[in-house]
Amino acid sequence: MSETKRAFTMEPLDWASWLPTLKLEEATPEQIAVLEESLPTAKTSPYYLLLARDVEVLRERSRLFNAVMYAPKGLARGDRELATVVVSRINHCVYCASVHAIRFAQLTKHPEIPQAIFDEGLSTELSERYRAITDYAAKLTRMPSAMVAADLAPLRKVGLNDLEILDLTNAVAMFAWANRLMLSLGEPVAKPSTP
Amino acid sequence: MADAKSGGTDIVDMLLGIEPGSALAALRAERPEVLRHTRQSYEALFEPASTGGLSRLDRGAAALRVARLSEDAPLATHFRHYLAGITDGDAFIDAVERFPEMVSTKRLEAILLHVDRVTRTPAMATPAHLAELQSAGLAPTDIVTLSQLIAFVTYLTRAVAGLRLLGSAA
Repeated sequence: MSETKRAFTMEPLDWASWLPTLKLEEATPEQIAVLEESLPTAKTSPYYLLLARDVEVLRERSRLFNAVMYAPKGLARGDRELATVVVSRINHCVYCASVHAIRFAQLTKHPEIPQAIFDEGLSTELSERYRAITDYAAKLTRMPSAMVAADLAPLRKVGLNDLEILDLTNAVAMFAWANRLMLSLGEPVAKPSTP
Repeated sequence: MADAKSGGTDIVDMLLGIEPGSALAALRAERPEVLRHTRQSYEALFEPASTGGLSRLDRGAAALRVARLSEDAPLATHFRHYLAGITDGDAFIDAVERFPEMVSTKRLEAILLHVDRVTRTPAMATPAHLAELQSAGLAPTDIVTLSQLIAFVTYLTRAVAGLRLLGSAA
C-alpha cells in the first residue's frame, strides 16, 4: 500500500500483480496469440498475464491502445505521450507516468518537461502548445461532463485540427482506462538492480 | 470476426446521434481502428459470447454506476435500458441507482463499492479491496473483467465528451 505513495519518477519501474496471473504453460493458443500481439514483452509481463484472464477484452484493449497511441498522421506522438503523462499525474499512476514520461523524452529530447510536471505539478511553465494540451487533458480527465465547446479554443489557437483534437481526446480517454487498471490490480515496484 | 459484427449498433454513434455521412462520422472514419476496437470492446464487455462468472446483471449494474458517478446522463440512460432488457421490474435498477442507500445483495454491494473506488479514487486501491471482492464470490478472472469494465466506461465517457465538442463546434 505504501508503494502506491511512491514518488513520480523518470526511472523505469516494474509492476506487481495483486492477483494470481495466468501461467504461460496453462495458456490457450488464443491467449498466447493475444499476448504476442499486445506487446513484444507481454508473455513475461505480470500486467498482461493478468489481463489475459479475459482474453476477448484484452485483445480489443490492446488493439485500441495501439491505434490510439501509434496510428500514423494526426497528433504528433510526443503530444499524445504528454497527454498521457498529464492524465497519469492527475490519477497518480506512478507506473504509467514513468513509462510515458520516458517515451515523451525519447521522442522529443525534452526530459525536463515531464520532470517539471512531476516536480511542480500541472501549473509548471509550459509552451503555449503544451499548455493548451495539458489544460484540455486535465479538464477532460477531471470533469468530462463539464466540457464545453470553448475548451477547444486554446487547442485551435495553437493550430490543432479536428483529427489532432480527436487523437488528443482518445489518448486522454485511453489513460482513464489504463491508469485505473494499473492502479487497482497491482502496484509499481523497483526494478531489480542488475549490475 | 470483426466484420461479422460490423452491422451492429455503434455505442458512440448511438450516444451522440451521429448520422452516416455527417461531419462527425467522417472524422471518426479517419481513425477506423479506434472506432472498431471501441465498438468491439463494448461488445466484449457487455455482449460477451460467454459471461463467465460476471453476469450481465453485474456488468450492467457496474456500468450504470460508473455513468452516474461520471455525471454522464445519456450513458446512464443507456445502461438503464441495458438492465431493463435483462431484469423484470425496476427493483434491481432502483437498488443500483440508490446505492449505497439501498442494497440488494452482498455481491452487488461489493461490486458497487469497488466501482466507486476505482472510478473516483483509483490511487487509493489496495489488495484488501480485491480480497473483499473475492469473499463476495468473485474469482480472479471476474475481478479482471470487472476492472476492465469500470475502466472502459471511464474511457467511453471521455471519448464521447471530446467528440461531442467537436460536433458542436463544427
